[in-house]
Amino acid sequence: MMALDMMPTAFLFLAAAPVFLALPQGMLRAMLLLLVPLIAGWQIWTLPEGTFAQVQFLGMTLDMMRVDKLSRVFGLIFCLAAFLGNLYAWHVRDTVQQLAALFYAGSAIGAVFAGDLVTLFFYWEGTAIASVFLIWARRTEAAYHTGLRYLIIQITSGVILLAGTALLFRETGSIAFQTMTLGSLGTWLIFLSFGMKCAFPLLHNWLQDSYPAATVTGTVILSAFTTKLAVYALARGFAGTEILIYIGAVMTLFPIFFAEIENDLRRVLAYSLNNQLGFMVVGIGVGTELALNGTASHAFAHILYKALLFMSVGAVLFRTGTSKASELGGLYRTMPRTAMFCLVGAASISAFPLFSGFVTKSLILDATAVEHYPVIWAVLVFASAGVLSHSGIKIPYFTFFAHDSGLRPKEAPIHMQLAMGITAFFCVAIGVYPEPLYALLPYEVEFHPYTTSHVVGQLQLLCFALLAFAVLMRTGIHPPEIRAINLDTDWVYRRFLPRVIAQLSGTVGQIWSSLEDSIESRLARMITLLYRLHGSETGLARPMRPGSMVLWVAVLLGVTLVVNFIV
Amino acid sequence: MAQSPSENTDTHPVLGRILGWVDRPGSANRIFWALVVLCGGLFLADFTYHKHGHFAVENVPGFYGIYGFVMFTLLILVAKTLRIFIKRPEDYYGKAAVDSEDYPAAQLEKVDHDGA
Repeated sequence: MMALDMMPTAFLFLAAAPVFLALPQGMLRAMLLLLVPLIAGWQIWTLPEGTFAQVQFLGMTLDMMRVDKLSRVFGLIFCLAAFLGNLYAWHVRDTVQQLAALFYAGSAIGAVFAGDLVTLFFYWEGTAIASVFLIWARRTEAAYHTGLRYLIIQITSGVILLAGTALLFRETGSIAFQTMTLGSLGTWLIFLSFGMKCAFPLLHNWLQDSYPAATVTGTVILSAFTTKLAVYALARGFAGTEILIYIGAVMTLFPIFFAEIENDLRRVLAYSLNNQLGFMVVGIGVGTELALNGTASHAFAHILYKALLFMSVGAVLFRTGTSKASELGGLYRTMPRTAMFCLVGAASISAFPLFSGFVTKSLILDATAVEHYPVIWAVLVFASAGVLSHSGIKIPYFTFFAHDSGLRPKEAPIHMQLAMGITAFFCVAIGVYPEPLYALLPYEVEFHPYTTSHVVGQLQLLCFALLAFAVLMRTGIHPPEIRAINLDTDWVYRRFLPRVIAQLSGTVGQIWSSLEDSIESRLARMITLLYRLHGSETGLARPMRPGSMVLWVAVLLGVTLVVNFIV
Repeated sequence: MAQSPSENTDTHPVLGRILGWVDRPGSANRIFWALVVLCGGLFLADFTYHKHGHFAVENVPGFYGIYGFVMFTLLILVAKTLRIFIKRPEDYYGKAAVDSEDYPAAQLEKVDHDGA
């Protein structure tokens, strides 16, 4: 185990790939995929803080492993998420998906421990390339197109990161990945790159577009890494950057409206994920120790309950072939355990007391209150009620209860139930006993979530919101689930720009062809004229015999002589 | 294709049959009124302890309840209005989007609870 101490955690995942390929497809491979995150987690748990595994590269020193409390908590939850995701995907026998999951988790963990921006860039692109295969693995035409859109945006984010790094290096002479202040073009580019992956408003649509297109298990794995890596990167690079407070607040707000009227439940969860990221981004923007602890702990809890929700909807998709709310309902009869796990996830994301969301989101809410941002605080409280509406109520209610769809699918496979059960256990355990999680956080915390005012306030908010839902349902005001899609900003690049380009290319093409026509007709006229003057039928082109040539020369000479004589 | 009265639920998992209570006649009403009572209780609970919120508005009894009820209702109404403008048919983006496509059946295990 000596070698393990010196090995960057990400290399464990890369080194596992040849072993994986050497094994026959089947249980052994599935077991390896569970073993690797466990070993990685154990390594991260036991590593001392500090920077090691330095490598010389093109005259730069790359820090492959920077272990501190912030990177450790993200590294640990990524290992746990990889383990749970692979357990959920135990039945998958698709080498592409399995390797993608392995490289994806490895890249995300590598990025978290990157001590410099160049290493970060390599892993940043690694997550993009590995993860797209979880979408393409669906192997349909639509998945191919969706994956391409996803990949273009993810790769662009990496290219912008590289550009920012180069500018920053020219400016400061350092590639260290540490706290930055927005100002120069370099830092703004890095900020933008992080923002794209973090699904900032207007840069967010890749998330809702791509996650519902991935495979059943792929979406569960996708939901854990990319965006939380971006949250980590923002927390590392831009903690205390005030603009993030406002960006985050908008992020908590707008997705809840879209989630409310979306029919595909996996897309509802993608909107909901976006909203949860908003809370974390606000925490980063506030930037105090309490707020950053809130962000880190919320990311930890969020990865678990979000995975749990994606797992339960995924299990329904696996058994029924659809994840559309309009086609589902009443599944509790034959999938009661999945329904229960879904309810645990719903209670956790809604932040009911005794569930994980409650003990982590309160830190961020309190931080905005302590730093006196009343409007932001009010927005976050509203967004909390919004979370309840789509993730707390809509997902479990319209899938497992509500009107009976008549579907009687079999309960989820055992390994899926196991994965959901363990995840649900963590959701409850963190909620009931948050101290071990608090101990992992970047700063020493003295925070008590279970005060009377916290508990009663939160219960009031949630129960009255539930009551509002019940009233709206009974009065028929609540919008029904219908088969339709909703436009979002991706309309710009999926419909508007292609149309504009098509229009433009049509116009340009017309101008070009009429230009060509006129040139052609002019040329034709010129050729005709030339032919008329110099063609074989005309006088100028008549062949001459040598005799007549000599005669004409003699005549010419004679004329010259006469002219000379006269003059 | 709703549950017919003659449907044999004996083959359903035990937990599913227990949960079946929610679909019995009158259960929905019972749940609703239980929720009303719970909300009333929570509202009254605000008078039993000293509140020390960061903002003055937090000290108003039932603030969170009222805020939650009003904002939730607003959210639904705004979302419902939004839908009028942005709703499109499922095949709007054609073959380049998964919305109008069936999930490939080969990657699923569509089985009914009774094995059918």
